Amino acid sequence: MEIKREDIIHLAELSDFSLTDAEIDSLGGDLQGIIGYISQLEELDTDNITPTYQVFEMENVWRADEIKPQDATCEQLLALTKEEKDNQIKVPKVL
Amino acid sequence: MKYIPTIGIECHVQLATKTKLFSEVDNDARGKEPNSCVSPVDYALPGMLPRLNGEAIKFAILAGRAMNCEINAYSRFDRKHYFYPDSPKGYQITQFYHPIIGEGYVELPSGTKIRIEHAHLEGDAGKLTHFDTYSLVDLNRVDTPLIEIVSMPDIHSAKDAHDYCKELWRLMTFAGVSYGDLYNGNMRFDVNVSLAPEGATELGTRAEVKNLNSFRSVERAVEYEIARQSKILDAGEKVVQETRGWNDNTGKTTGQRSKEEAKDYRYMPEPDLPPINLTAEFIETESAKLPLMPTDYRKKFGGVLKAEILEVLLDYAELMKKLAEIDEKYVVAIANLFTSVLLAEEKSAEYLNDLPTAKQLNDLAEMNEKKELSSTATKEVFLRLFDPQMKGRDTKVIAKELGLIQENDLGALEAIVDTVLAKPETQKAQADFKAGEEKVIGFLVGQVMKESHGKANPSAVQEILRKKLA
Repeated sequence: MEIKREDIIHLAELSDFSLTDAEIDSLGGDLQGIIGYISQLEELDTDNITPTYQVFEMENVWRADEIKPQDATCEQLLALTKEEKDNQIKVPKVL
Repeated sequence: MKYIPTIGIECHVQLATKTKLFSEVDNDARGKEPNSCVSPVDYALPGMLPRLNGEAIKFAILAGRAMNCEINAYSRFDRKHYFYPDSPKGYQITQFYHPIIGEGYVELPSGTKIRIEHAHLEGDAGKLTHFDTYSLVDLNRVDTPLIEIVSMPDIHSAKDAHDYCKELWRLMTFAGVSYGDLYNGNMRFDVNVSLAPEGATELGTRAEVKNLNSFRSVERAVEYEIARQSKILDAGEKVVQETRGWNDNTGKTTGQRSKEEAKDYRYMPEPDLPPINLTAEFIETESAKLPLMPTDYRKKFGGVLKAEILEVLLDYAELMKKLAEIDEKYVVAIANLFTSVLLAEEKSAEYLNDLPTAKQLNDLAEMNEKKELSSTATKEVFLRLFDPQMKGRDTKVIAKELGLIQENDLGALEAIVDTVLAKPETQKAQADFKAGEEKVIGFLVGQVMKESHGKANPSAVQEILRKKLA
């Protein structure tokens, strides 16, 4: 699989990254390398193998529906954000 | 040209669990400060892991069974990636490939069946409020458990779209899985509308109206879309496939600026949540907890109550539960009291949270039947039963305290009638009646009622009067 310049630009837009031309080139090279490495796995025959989503083979891990005190207060959490206003997180206008 | 509309609806239902889907904080943020029901998990701080709420699984089973759906033993979660400030994680945890709820159907009051394609569990996003130059983010709603219910394109009119949404709301409130508070966005509807010429084998291009929060706006938006698309097709033009927004004030849908990027959510299995694999026994045990549904009540009361009355009452799950406890012979009387008296009251919604006991209501109907209470007095006592101070008290005692018990004792009544007949101001009326003027009997009955301070049984009084004046 060949990673094109447009693929990198597309992925950057989806992730809201702004990249310089030089970064697009170097990331493209890096990603091409990683994909090439992973592609070696395609040589294996997986036709009759059930896909594995996680390796611990756990199932039905769930908790009781009870409110628990949290390690951080609402104020502490809000203070971690860049800017706040009226108990809310202030962000550049989005639509 | 005549077109056949085809409508599919996606409905998001917020589940009324105590805590959120993936964190152990308060899930009911109604009336609370922004960002007060939040945890480090909701903020997606580094290293924070989701912990699945087991109650949401049980609620999903009930919701599924309410819609006659298969419950899938195996289900699991996926990440749906998108970049937006309402989601600190940068993805939504949903069930894209293996939903917990499979195929089923919802039966409308008209009998029409709308098939359900599937329904899945997912976390809600936060709430954004937009201002001139900035937006504010409230994370209280982040990861409130939702089930998203996807219908098949079985709906073909604005009315059926309305009825389907309303029936879903009833099913969810009757099943007890959602507060069903539409004002607070507990249920939200996305509606797909397309038109095809009559007889066509393929569906037309569809437009999607997103984020409707009332049955009425669903109905109006569908009506508007049918008219808008008909006009486009009549002019020989093509409907654009797009997402449209609804404005309740103008009654119009408008195209929303579509993203140039095609949707690319890069779904992947959620590695932090092991799959759900339910035993048949677990599903059976949870399904058995489903209370009576609207369809059950229609079967139960369809023969006794008028359909119009029953459909009004079916908007109130608690009321229907109570009605099922009422003595069969008094069901009509009590149902009528609820429709004619209570629902006309301004405070009806508040009253309905705390209903009188079945015994109090049965006693009331019995007293009315035995003519111990006039119909006016019955309504008065009925309303008193909702008074918190009357809680659990005997209906007869309450009626007595209010002085509303009718005088049915014939001896006592006769004495009162005699007193009235002896009064000079009734002499002319008596003479007129004897001369054949039938309607003055009303005046005489009224005089007796006044003398008895309203406690006499008017039909008994009339009978005595007629006997005495014959």
